[in-house]
Amino acid sequence: MTSRRLVIALLALLGASGTQAATIELTVNGLVCGFCAQGIEKTLRRNAATDDVFVSLENRLVAVATKPDADIADDVLRKALQDAGYDVKAIARTNRSLQSLREQMKAKK
Amino acid sequence: MLSKFRRVAQATASIVACAMAVAAQAKPIAFAHGTTVMGEYGAGTMTEVQAFYAPTFRYSLGVSHLTLDGASERKTRDVTYFRANYLPKRWNLENAQANVFVWGGAGRAHIGETSEDQFAWNVGGQFDYETRRIYASLRTDLHEASGYSHRVDTLQLGIAPYEHDYQTLAVWIVLQARQYTGGLFPGTEYAALLRVFKRNAWLEAGATQDGKLQAMLMFNF
Repeated sequence: MTSRRLVIALLALLGASGTQAATIELTVNGLVCGFCAQGIEKTLRRNAATDDVFVSLENRLVAVATKPDADIADDVLRKALQDAGYDVKAIARTNRSLQSLREQMKAKK
Repeated sequence: MLSKFRRVAQATASIVACAMAVAAQAKPIAFAHGTTVMGEYGAGTMTEVQAFYAPTFRYSLGVSHLTLDGASERKTRDVTYFRANYLPKRWNLENAQANVFVWGGAGRAHIGETSEDQFAWNVGGQFDYETRRIYASLRTDLHEASGYSHRVDTLQLGIAPYEHDYQTLAVWIVLQARQYTGGLFPGTEYAALLRVFKRNAWLEAGATQDGKLQAMLMFNF
């Protein structure tokens, strides 16, 4: 009985460690200056599900890493960006981490 | 022949300048829930300090203090306004942004030559267009009281030597033309400015054609 409980606990632990934080990538129009990016970052960081935010003016990209098991609905993201004064053209959910995005963008330059 | 060529060149330059008359001046609304503090020193003719809070990206409210110093030493106006700024139109393009801002304010003015305090009001507007390489803005500001009427029109055209990103320093070379009405400054005042900004800080400094300092500082948080 005890060993069965131990196996279940181990499986639960493995399952928990396998939970990945997701990345939401938004293509945004009107991103031309650092102040634009600052406003967007500030807005998105206010969302409880946000773990990190990365903005690339060059790629018209706003990437949001969500906390494990958390998500932000597309309409919430669109509204947040609209309220910040920008237009979202596309939303994609990817497995790329913000760190890898930062490195990719840096390598492109 | 040479003078005719010069006139044609001047006319062409004016048309090009007007056609590009959209550009990167500091914006009176930075972003929703953002506070903007800015100070401008305009070659001894104009000094302005402003602080605004924007509840949304559409409008901001705040205070400003403006000092206008005319060619005559006693021709000074010290004006304190409560101001509202509104963004009626923004165009978010793929690699560019354009905005129309309007504003209005009311407050008190101290008039140097009569030592009187009067009710004063202000209205103004700005159109700007920017990419990461080109910036243009045209701004007009009308300051009125029973004892004076001044309009300050400013055109800025900027070019960036490289395309900055959020994490890098933005550098702009900006040419400015400013005209004051109401006897504050004769003719048009020209200035060449170097503008740098990163994250929430903006610094702009340069000189007018008379070698006078023109500078601006802005912080958003």
